[in-house]
Amino acid sequence: MSDSLLQLIDRYRNKDRRALSRLLTLAARGEHLSEILAAASVPQSKRIPVVTLTGSAGVGKSTLTGKLIELLRRKDKRVAVLACDPQSPLSGGALLGDRFRMPTTPDEGVFIRSLSSAGGRGAIAEHLPVLLKLLAGFGFDVILLETVGAGQGDTVVRDIADVVVFLVQPETGDDLQWEKAGLLEVCDIVVIHKSDLPGAEHAEAQLRSMLELSSGPIPVILRVSSKTGSGMEELWQAIERAADSEHVRRDAGRELLRQVQEFLSARFVQLEEDAALQQLVADWKAGEVDLNDAARRLVDLLLTAGANPRSSP
Amino acid sequence: MKQHNCQNNDRLAVKMRSTNMSKRLRIVLAKVGLDGHDRGIKVVARALRDAGMEVIYAGLWQTPESVVRTVADEDADWLGLSILSGAHMTLVPRIMTLLREAGLEDVGVIVGGIIPESDYPKLKELGVARVFGPGTPMDEIVRFLRQHPRSHSSAEGAGKE
Repeated sequence: MSDSLLQLIDRYRNKDRRALSRLLTLAARGEHLSEILAAASVPQSKRIPVVTLTGSAGVGKSTLTGKLIELLRRKDKRVAVLACDPQSPLSGGALLGDRFRMPTTPDEGVFIRSLSSAGGRGAIAEHLPVLLKLLAGFGFDVILLETVGAGQGDTVVRDIADVVVFLVQPETGDDLQWEKAGLLEVCDIVVIHKSDLPGAEHAEAQLRSMLELSSGPIPVILRVSSKTGSGMEELWQAIERAADSEHVRRDAGRELLRQVQEFLSARFVQLEEDAALQQLVADWKAGEVDLNDAARRLVDLLLTAGANPRSSP
Repeated sequence: MKQHNCQNNDRLAVKMRSTNMSKRLRIVLAKVGLDGHDRGIKVVARALRDAGMEVIYAGLWQTPESVVRTVADEDADWLGLSILSGAHMTLVPRIMTLLREAGLEDVGVIVGGIIPESDYPKLKELGVARVFGPGTPMDEIVRFLRQHPRSHSSAEGAGKE
């Protein structure tokens, strides 16, 4: 480990905000992931809920995130926000415009980081579990995660968050659109946002009648307006209840699984020049090994690479 | 078959490198003070995005304090300010001071907007890397940012203040 990284980790542990910011950059790029993960230890006793806000583009995720920050600061809670926006598939660049809609007054209790997210990654940035760990280890009380404008299939957020809030708005389409929405099946809370607009009550009625047909647990449905502030307090109470609920504790093992996934992807990147790995991927692409075999061989390869001391946690 | 594999290998190598989140420039774009003209800054934001940079758009009505906080929390390489109100000789010195106080002197600052040419040298003296006036081709800004890499965003530069 280089001296500068050690210093950085040391400063991070001493709650130096600049060090946190730098480590987030390194982790988002996939650099030094295992060292950073090891540095960001969170006491098991302290639960720091990760609350995901998701929904289609323009539904008001950033605005609602901004309002939640204000509400949480009034309750004296320290808030960290990770806001994801899409990366251009052509240039790789990104226009990150989420914090534009959030409070701007500098405040030690608020940290906002914008992240770009490549297509096909389920509406969130890479290496997110490491970023979340870094923020949790820094002493924030709540972490808000805003996804890119997401649609119907991006259910991967369920694995990352303790509480999933799915935003919809009035006049989204007829009730068949609700039937299709996969996020409705995995979220804890559905917010009918912009509830000051006409049609909010109708949307709620449609949603309720649809969800009552499902066999699984029914999410909490709330009408919220960021414009008037109505429903905000109820939303926070619902988030707290969901964070304390049984299923979050039951899913705790997933966190371990997530860490293992991060270790494996970090090793995959470290090994990108490895001849055996290149050969395996080439064989798979050429159709010479089937997917199951290739996957098993890949796991073996990544694990045997553990002999390299740099890649061990 | 052999040749086919070889080609695949090359393509794989390229693909893996490009997904490895190489050091993409991060730039905060902001308008400071009471100035509502944001057409220019939005055009620049789009051009830099199209050039492959990560543009953090902080938008209108920022204060010097909020801009510096944004640069710190976003770990940006560059700060781009757009000022059309005539207040640049008040706002820019304040921002440069705050950046220094926050240990962010390694962040590059560029300024655009309506700035009298007689003020260009004064801004440069304050530490502004470059002033771009009206009519600047977008390529010129992109080229300038690429040709003046900032040191701080590597792991090596990460430890120093």
